[in-house]
Amino acid sequence: MKEMTTFMSKSQHKAKKRNLFIVGILAFFIVIAFFISMNTGYIKLSPTEVIQTFFGYGNEKQQLILFEFRLPRIVIAVLVGMGLAVSGCILQGISRNALADPGILGINAGAGLAVMLFISFFPSTTAVPIFLLPILAFLGAGLTAIIIYTLAYKRHEGISPMRLVLTGVAIAAGISSVMIVLTLRLSPENYQFVATWLAGSIWGSNWKFVLSLLPWILILIPFVFTKARVLNVLNLGDLTATGLGASIEKERRVLLAAAVGLAGASVSISGGIGFVGLIAPHLARQLVGSRHQFLIPASALAGGLLVLVADTIGRWILQPSEIPAGIVVAVIGAPYFLYLLSRLKE
Amino acid sequence: MPVLNVDKVAIGYTSTLIIDGLSVSIPEKKITTIIGPNGCGKSTLLKAISRLLKTKSGAVYLDGRAIHQLQTKEVAKKMAILPQSATAPGGLTVFELVSYGRFPHQNGLGTLTKEDYKHIYWAIDVTGLNEFKDRPVEELSGGQRQRVWIAMALAQGTEILILDEPTTYLDLAHQLDILLLLQRLNEEEGRTIVMVLHDLNHASRFSHYMIAMKGGKLIKEGDPEEVMTFPNLQSVFNIDARMATCPFSNNPICLSYQLYQKNE
Amino acid sequence: MSIRSAEFTEIEKLEEIKKHTHPVIALVVLFGGIFALLIAIGLSISFGAADIKLVTVWTAVFNFEPEITSHQIIRDIRMPRVLGAAIVGSCFAVAGALMQGMTRNPLADSGLLGLNAGAAFMLALCFAFFPGLPYMYLIMYSFLGAGLGVGIVYGVGSLSRGGLTPMRLVLAGAAVSALLGALSEGIALYFQIGQDLAFWYAGGVSGTKWINLQIMSPWIIVAMIGAIILSRSITLLSLGEEVAIGLGQRTKTIKLFGMLIVLVLAGAAVSVVGAVGFVGLIVPHLTRYLVGHDYRWIIPCSVVLGGLLVVLADLAARMINPPYETPIGALIAFIGVPFFLYLARKGGKEL
Repeated sequence: MKEMTTFMSKSQHKAKKRNLFIVGILAFFIVIAFFISMNTGYIKLSPTEVIQTFFGYGNEKQQLILFEFRLPRIVIAVLVGMGLAVSGCILQGISRNALADPGILGINAGAGLAVMLFISFFPSTTAVPIFLLPILAFLGAGLTAIIIYTLAYKRHEGISPMRLVLTGVAIAAGISSVMIVLTLRLSPENYQFVATWLAGSIWGSNWKFVLSLLPWILILIPFVFTKARVLNVLNLGDLTATGLGASIEKERRVLLAAAVGLAGASVSISGGIGFVGLIAPHLARQLVGSRHQFLIPASALAGGLLVLVADTIGRWILQPSEIPAGIVVAVIGAPYFLYLLSRLKE
Repeated sequence: MPVLNVDKVAIGYTSTLIIDGLSVSIPEKKITTIIGPNGCGKSTLLKAISRLLKTKSGAVYLDGRAIHQLQTKEVAKKMAILPQSATAPGGLTVFELVSYGRFPHQNGLGTLTKEDYKHIYWAIDVTGLNEFKDRPVEELSGGQRQRVWIAMALAQGTEILILDEPTTYLDLAHQLDILLLLQRLNEEEGRTIVMVLHDLNHASRFSHYMIAMKGGKLIKEGDPEEVMTFPNLQSVFNIDARMATCPFSNNPICLSYQLYQKNE
Repeated sequence: MSIRSAEFTEIEKLEEIKKHTHPVIALVVLFGGIFALLIAIGLSISFGAADIKLVTVWTAVFNFEPEITSHQIIRDIRMPRVLGAAIVGSCFAVAGALMQGMTRNPLADSGLLGLNAGAAFMLALCFAFFPGLPYMYLIMYSFLGAGLGVGIVYGVGSLSRGGLTPMRLVLAGAAVSALLGALSEGIALYFQIGQDLAFWYAGGVSGTKWINLQIMSPWIIVAMIGAIILSRSITLLSLGEEVAIGLGQRTKTIKLFGMLIVLVLAGAAVSVVGAVGFVGLIVPHLTRYLVGHDYRWIIPCSVVLGGLLVVLADLAARMINPPYETPIGALIAFIGVPFFLYLARKGGKEL
């Protein structure tokens, strides 16, 4: 190892250290946001109370609030953010399109439709095992992804990034009109639930939801991480990637499935949080560059941080009522997206 | 001794064939250029040679084995490809892009080994990019960027280099710069180079072997003396060329030309 | 060939357009369309919970007797609704035609470019903060909202390097729609006006009253006349800004007026029917396909065909699952989405 670092030029060594440092900083920010978020809510707890309770010295009420309400919600916010961000990171890599995002590509809408169909046919969500939701959402997202991919595919030309985006926008519009039809048939109580869900709120403040989401994130993100170097070369374009010996079609399908899985599972818990998959990877790219070995972890952390902060703001800004995190993210995200759009060349 | 053998290859889409039954051999440790008018199938041939396109019939043989039956990674260890107008994703530094050339030699997470670093630094050095290695690729000029891509292909550490119009969109000096670099790689390292060039005089000056195509067919192959002749240029490009001799390479060049008028 | 001057080719282009315009077909489309529209309006009025014969519709219109119930239903409920549908359709269609011509963007549509979302956002604000605001003010806010949406989209476009490509316009529109949609949702959730807003969002002309038509018609009439006056200039603009300037047109002024007309038309339509998309996309394309590329024909034909489309969609919306109404916006999206996909696929090169 020592020999290697001496072999590496100084600037390479410095760049690597810098990137590790940035990833560390992002993780540190999440910890800070975590404590702030623990403090935010209808019932006030002082920072010392939070820390005391956290280490097991709080009273029963404090423990209930922290461990049964706030903690699972915070964990979910972070996990959802990570899932969406890595999903976006993959989509941007394989489509070579800086604007790809599970939301814009209609994948979130597909997942949303599946969940909504489920809710409208089996209205009492408590009766069914909650871990079904990610699977349903995955199916919905997967089906949508397949439809979009097929429609955007042209023989002899393959997938053009522009056609992919336009097809995604159209399919998303179609799905949202189906959802409107469904919306009007719901009873007012179910409507309120679905509307809140669609707006992207971390509604499942419950450890069960954490457990249903966790395996997807824990399996898929490390898996994607092992594909970092494949993503690196896919990003250079099909011809170059083939020339370097990557089996592009196979890799692209596997990675697309992973992206769909991550987005689907996240959306099933959080509802339609858009823009995370777009912003987080961009932010990460600004910080650590384009190599996916750093880009993936940095995106995941940035995404987790973003959703956690958005959820915290949503809980805090109009107390005692809550604004769904998805709305807060859209308000931050859309302007950023427009900014990116205006800076993009071509 | 040919390293690459193209044997009765047909390439095309469902109904129309772009190339039909073409056979050609690429000599080892030589510079070979493919020339021909627009749409003659020269880029298609290059893509078939580098397995980027599947052949409908016939096969391309690399060291005597059909290229499509080889593991794509194994092929990538023997031959590197620089596609036409390749673009790098934003924010990538020169070092990073060149390091991607090590892809076929890596496994798992892609941590760079000592061997990898050796190849990368050598490639950066030989292409004269040392002072730029930590700069983002998109900030470089067109000529520098093209050298970065060549460096990436070099870092791949292959015997064969395949380039599709490596000098397009470059000004005169930068075109020459790239070609001289390729010539040096061939002379000093003995690499086999295959490329498509638009400029006939460059093709003649720098190559040992030329392939002239028209309408998906092979019209003439051989050394520049054989290919760059008045009748050949007439039949391939429909031009009446005034031939001269290149003062640098002593190969034939085309001084100027007229449109060829057929006598009715 | 290369010696020809730039103007020469421009004139050629114009002649090309003239050659591809078919005045006879255009006249057939225009009058056939009007005839079809009248029949559709008649059918639509006669169809409903209380069965009314076409003859009764005729007498109710031309021989109104206030004491007959069916005449009353026709006058007070069905006629404003169906006329509203026709007007809304015309507005969206002409707005779409103008936008496509001015931006040379085959995918331009007020729904895709953030106008509808902007108007809807403003109306959500009105519902939340000034419930019971009279329609006269509502429509003004709707114009304002449409202006807001399109302002952001074009602002982003004009700030970009490389200008407004179709793709960039669509994406900016999608993002602005997402942003304004999210804000509207937030307001809806907070003020618990969600389902009201959803009904309205889904698009429906059922609530249209005479008073709405009365208030919106002067605006729309002025805008339509403006559109017809501008139509020749739009034809030139559709050849490209440089060509239009080369032919001595003041493109900035034309664009400014064109945009104002679009805002009024789309804003008025959204204030009645909600954020219905795709009408402005489908109708101008269909019209162009039928009558060629001259906007002097495209605009009047779009008026007729747009009205026809929405009247039929509204009729279908009531027929599919009576007594419930299927949201008209969803219905049109079912035609619009495949159409959009077709355009995106076909237009791979020219986009």
